[in-house]
Amino acid sequence: MTHSKILAAAAVAALSVSGVQAQQKEIKVGVIYDYTGAFAAGGSEAAGVGTKIAIDMLNEKGGVEGYKIVPIYADAQSKTEVAINEMTRLLDQEKVHIIMGVFSSAHCVPMAQRADASKKFMWANVCVASAVFKDKKLSYVFRPQVHSDQFGEASCSYIAENAREKLGMDPKKVKVAIIYEDGPYGAGVAMGNEAKCKALGMDVTLKEGYAASSPDLSSLVTKLKRARADILLHTGYNPDITLFLRQAREQGLKFKGIIGHGAGYGQIGKLTETFGADVNYFFNVDPVAAQLLDPKTLKPGLGDLTKEMVKRYQAAKGPADVPPHASMGFNQSWILFTDVLPRAIKKHGGIDPEALRKASNETDIPMGGTIQGYGVKFFGPGTPMAGQNERSSPVVMQYVNGRTYVAWPKAIRTTDPIFPFPKGHPYAM
Amino acid sequence: MEIFDIFLLEAVLNGILLGGLLALLSLGLNLIFGVIDVVWICYAEMIMIGMYAVYALHVQQHWPLLAAMAAGIAIVALLGALMHQFVIRPVLSAEPINQLLVTGGVLFFLQAAATLAFGIEFKNLGVRLPPVVIGEMSFSFPRIIAFAMALAGVAATWLLLTRTYIGTAIRAISQDRGIMPLMGVNPGRVFVVTSALGGSLAGLSACLLVLQYDIHPAIGLSFGPITFLICVLGGLGNMLGGLVAAFIFAQFISVGGFFFAIEWGYVIAFVFFIAVMFWRPQGILGGK
Repeated sequence: MTHSKILAAAAVAALSVSGVQAQQKEIKVGVIYDYTGAFAAGGSEAAGVGTKIAIDMLNEKGGVEGYKIVPIYADAQSKTEVAINEMTRLLDQEKVHIIMGVFSSAHCVPMAQRADASKKFMWANVCVASAVFKDKKLSYVFRPQVHSDQFGEASCSYIAENAREKLGMDPKKVKVAIIYEDGPYGAGVAMGNEAKCKALGMDVTLKEGYAASSPDLSSLVTKLKRARADILLHTGYNPDITLFLRQAREQGLKFKGIIGHGAGYGQIGKLTETFGADVNYFFNVDPVAAQLLDPKTLKPGLGDLTKEMVKRYQAAKGPADVPPHASMGFNQSWILFTDVLPRAIKKHGGIDPEALRKASNETDIPMGGTIQGYGVKFFGPGTPMAGQNERSSPVVMQYVNGRTYVAWPKAIRTTDPIFPFPKGHPYAM
Repeated sequence: MEIFDIFLLEAVLNGILLGGLLALLSLGLNLIFGVIDVVWICYAEMIMIGMYAVYALHVQQHWPLLAAMAAGIAIVALLGALMHQFVIRPVLSAEPINQLLVTGGVLFFLQAAATLAFGIEFKNLGVRLPPVVIGEMSFSFPRIIAFAMALAGVAATWLLLTRTYIGTAIRAISQDRGIMPLMGVNPGRVFVVTSALGGSLAGLSACLLVLQYDIHPAIGLSFGPITFLICVLGGLGNMLGGLVAAFIFAQFISVGGFFFAIEWGYVIAFVFFIAVMFWRPQGILGGK
């Protein structure tokens, strides 16, 4: 072989290698959140940022098992029909391999049904309604996130465990009122509230739903005044939460404590900006914001991962307190891309829905194995909650002077909660 | 029983205050429809723009609140005039459905423009007025102001329409759009003035809503449909009808929501609306 032929052969080989590199395998992921509309500022955008950080970090390391993650971000505009249309577009036109994200349970319920019916793989990051999975027998939809029954149970358990010590009351004498936005999210949490509080012997004096877009909640406030409950359990989005709190203050509504359940109550920065010190000593039930956990209780390396997430989030959104939704968006994405996806590729031969489904069902992350502390194992096929993480758990957090502290479970709490509201607090009885 | 009565009374009075707010919202929309015969589906979004204007001037530019509100009213009045000149005028003789679609397009445009300009975050003035407390009852001060302003707005609009030349021209145009040009009235000018007046009423509503609600690009969705229903219930274009309908609607919402679940208050109000539409399709005080 002459020199020129050798050079030509080498050039062809080099070109083909670079061609292979240029055609690095890709996994296309349709990421759907509400980037505009009422849900955006209620936590959806924060979750979207968390998800993007996870994808960027993994791509910077070369992707997953030779696959570059190619995200296609879609805005559901806080409208269920738009969310469904975007999912259809991403699956049929963009040919994505995975649908992920989804903030609102109102979107999540029909999207999960549709994805499963067409045997497409969906990974839900934030929506919490138990109704997404309960008795649906889904096979291709998975959710590491906490579900609404657990939200409902956490607040009642917190009251029961603290009633005697903090309120000086027998838990069975505590009167609770439950109000909620009447979509799948609020209704699901409220159902969990009612079942658990009643099981613990508490008196549920009022349980009522309302439309999140309602322009007036004054008659609900009047009824709550009449009910004279000790504790208010509230589940809502924004702006209904701010409307309710404003009207409650104006109409002189009083409680010993207010416990919110995620979404609008998860946005301490926004609440403080609107209400100032009025939101001091409010509680919020949510999967914990990762930065609040002691890294020593987690698998080695997860503390640094959290620090990196917080750093990037604050670089993107400013130095304010990082909301739990950022952790949710990041954590669930990280679980999918670092645990499920490698197993699907290596053990089940690819990234098709069948391989992803099998890999998901084999997930077995122990407690402390994710940045939010909980483990991951999905309820198995054929069970009533198939696809839902059975190891997820929320915490009860308390807001004090714009900072967030873990108040429950007692084993990981970072503050001795102030309960009931101290005298002089605008909502104190 | 006595305590029950106090809470019921609070619900009734809150219903009256809510009625004032809804009446104010419907006033400008009714005025515009009554004269120009075009429904501005985007009316609530113009209120949203007014709320953002007050926010931007007071919070970001540090104007005194009253000055920011006055400017907010002027800005939405100007927006109303521009809306007529550039959006409504070209479709004045088009089919009503096309007019609706055009104003629907403006609705989405305004929502998107607000999102681009102010982002998705909820904004508020941070102004908190003390409630008015009477015994065990307590009422929102901004709502009381809104109630008073609604009555004042109706009175001022009535005076304008009955005691001024332009008001007389507006009424004349609303009665017979075809004949008035022959009498020397310029309909184009009357339409622009009416649109600006309707815009200023939207601006006034914005000034009162901004004291009670967070501002976000989608806030119009909370008020737009109910405002439109009230206008139809009272008789589209009939300002007195809108006033009556607003108070009836608000009582159904407030007292119905007090006796039953709050959602039932709305259900009862909508059932009443449907029943009236069967009985009087032209609305309670509609003349046609």
